[in-house]
Amino acid sequence: MIAYVLVALVALVLIAVVGWPLIRPAPGESSAAPPDEERGRLAEEVDRSLTAIREIDFDHRAGHLSDDDFATLDGAERARTAELLRRLDRLDSA
Amino acid sequence: MLLAFGAALYAVVMALSSRRHGQRAYQRSAERAVYAFCALLTLAMGTLWAGLLTNEFVLRNVADSTSRSLGWPFKLSALWSSQAGSLLLWAWMLSCCAAIVVRTNRARNRELMPVVVAVLMGTGVFFTSILTFVTSPFETLATVPADGRGLNPLLQNPYMVIHPPMLYVGYVSLAVPFAFAIAALVTGRLDTAWITSVRRWTIVAWLFLGLGILLGARWAYQELGWGGYWAWDPVENAAFMPWLAATAFLHSVMVQERRGMLKVWNMALVTLCFSLALFGTFLTRSGVLSSVHAFGESTLGPYFLAFIAVVLAGSVALIVSRLPLLRSQHSLESYLSREAVFLFNNLLLIGLAFAVFWGTVFPIISEAVQGTKRVVGQPYFNQVSLPIGLGLLLLTGVGPLIAWRKASPAQLRRRFAMPLAVAAVAAVLLGVLTDAWSRWAAGAVFTTSVFVVACIAGEFWRGMRVQRTLGGVSWPGALLRLVGRNRRRYGGYLVHIGIVVLFVGLAGSKSFASGGELALRQGEAGNVGGYTFVNRGPERMSATPHVANVGVGVAVLRDGRPVGVMHPGFSIYANGDRATEVAIDTTATRDIYVVLSSFEAGGIARISVFVNPLVIWIWAAGVILAIGALIAGWPGPRVQRRAAPAAARAPARPAEPTRVEA
Repeated sequence: MIAYVLVALVALVLIAVVGWPLIRPAPGESSAAPPDEERGRLAEEVDRSLTAIREIDFDHRAGHLSDDDFATLDGAERARTAELLRRLDRLDSA
Repeated sequence: MLLAFGAALYAVVMALSSRRHGQRAYQRSAERAVYAFCALLTLAMGTLWAGLLTNEFVLRNVADSTSRSLGWPFKLSALWSSQAGSLLLWAWMLSCCAAIVVRTNRARNRELMPVVVAVLMGTGVFFTSILTFVTSPFETLATVPADGRGLNPLLQNPYMVIHPPMLYVGYVSLAVPFAFAIAALVTGRLDTAWITSVRRWTIVAWLFLGLGILLGARWAYQELGWGGYWAWDPVENAAFMPWLAATAFLHSVMVQERRGMLKVWNMALVTLCFSLALFGTFLTRSGVLSSVHAFGESTLGPYFLAFIAVVLAGSVALIVSRLPLLRSQHSLESYLSREAVFLFNNLLLIGLAFAVFWGTVFPIISEAVQGTKRVVGQPYFNQVSLPIGLGLLLLTGVGPLIAWRKASPAQLRRRFAMPLAVAAVAAVLLGVLTDAWSRWAAGAVFTTSVFVVACIAGEFWRGMRVQRTLGGVSWPGALLRLVGRNRRRYGGYLVHIGIVVLFVGLAGSKSFASGGELALRQGEAGNVGGYTFVNRGPERMSATPHVANVGVGVAVLRDGRPVGVMHPGFSIYANGDRATEVAIDTTATRDIYVVLSSFEAGGIARISVFVNPLVIWIWAAGVILAIGALIAGWPGPRVQRRAAPAAARAPARPAEPTRVEA
């Protein structure tokens, strides 16, 4: 009997904890990504892009990339970084 | 268990509802349900562990797998010696992974997370439904026995305390990349963000699967007494296949990140990894194939097959529906390029995984078609894996040296001249100084290994020279800076070195092992593999209320000089079970492995002796692989962004980069 009461108590506590966000939702919440998250995502993309630029440069210096391939890959990655930074700026000014 | 099942089901429903209704509150509630799921399964694990430690023989699991005299470490590990207990461990680890994913993504991947939670908790629903409705770890007995039946003696080994959990962490971690891949497919966010989110999880899965496999091999070597460590047993293969698929994914993902290619292939690989992890769990539990590692006959097989079918069918349908979004941004420009090498590497890895799969399931297929179960033996697996393994070993060295997009013949000459020269010298020296070429496969592996090490050493050398040209640092400083600034690449190279060491150990121990049987009276001597073995007489090594060890002292000599005294024997347990205790003498170049087969009339000790070269290299490889994977997976420092306009922050192009030629 005590076991059943304990299980019921645990179940009640869990229902309360799990259901709380439904009873008291934070105002204006939606599942769409908020600007902060979008900003964070873009910032991570910029990090990755900058890392890629460093790697391409390193590969070129180490002789793994010909001058032509370096110019192509490096140019494409820099253009991507610039575009990401522009999108970040637009988000900041919005 | 019922509450955990309910929490998982609730999380699935709420996570999916949050997508449909756009309510963040639903998703937050679903995430809390994930934590609740984890807490409840932790409570279940704690309860079962407490039952095992306190001899609660009213529980079938406790009565079947422990006894009063069993030591506490083995009482704890007895939890995963039973069918239901091991499934509980699987579910608990899944719940921990899900909770970590929710915690680490609380402010990230908001669009992906509802689907990620739904997939992980959908898997949780499957496992907890089995634990709740099919095989409960808390099943009670009508009559409580005075003592338990005890743990299988083969499982009373320290490696069995750690090997299954390591393997399970590997299996379960593969659910996370799968969940993110499905989320990317469902939401259409098919850029590289999902790949970045799962790379570390895949490394964790790869590392733990690899270490779990090696620890299992070590257990088999030490406990089973047949002189080997790998027998292509179905359950060994079951862990090996997802490891191969995860290895392929970790390589092909770089092609997607760098060149925007292989997107469909990567989705397929992630699905394959998770499906093979489930298949491994199915093989261990269904009883369809006999194995020293498997649980007995059970009724769980159809449930697992149905779940695997749902995973495969759902994933394939999603991938097909998203094909237009998964088009490659570039095409393969040359077969002499880094991406082509990764492609070949992937084909070999998946080819090997398929060959192992075919050999593993052939008994089932033959039984279904012909009515008789035809087991595929080790020769099939060895024959298939040797050329593929050799090809993979070669690519381990070739890959890092070939340029992305297209390598020119001049570049190839510059890069490979030195490694080829070193390998040629090594091949000659091996022929002159050793008998390595008496087994061509071993000679080829040793020579290729030297080539790979030369390739990787060259990579470190060139990288360090670049670092020194960038700023005045010493050679050790250049090495530290090199690895610190690109952990992923140089950690990966260390993993490649670990693979080389592993191949050397495998080639040496498989090709040059020798052995024999000796029947020796006390004081008599016999020769095997260039060593002399002398029976020094029976010994009683130790005795506790739980187990007594008896054996024989065997003096070992080489060219008349003593090597040591070995003590093979038996463990005789209180419940009458008996297990072989192998004696192993290890050096860097060989293991002497002695098994006491029997004591016979007249004081004759019958012993089996194996001399296995280079076995320790296999275990050393595990350490190197672990260090390399930790370096590769360790989080790097975040790049700091300045608060300046985009144009000003765009990375400046280096004026004239200094190139380092080989």
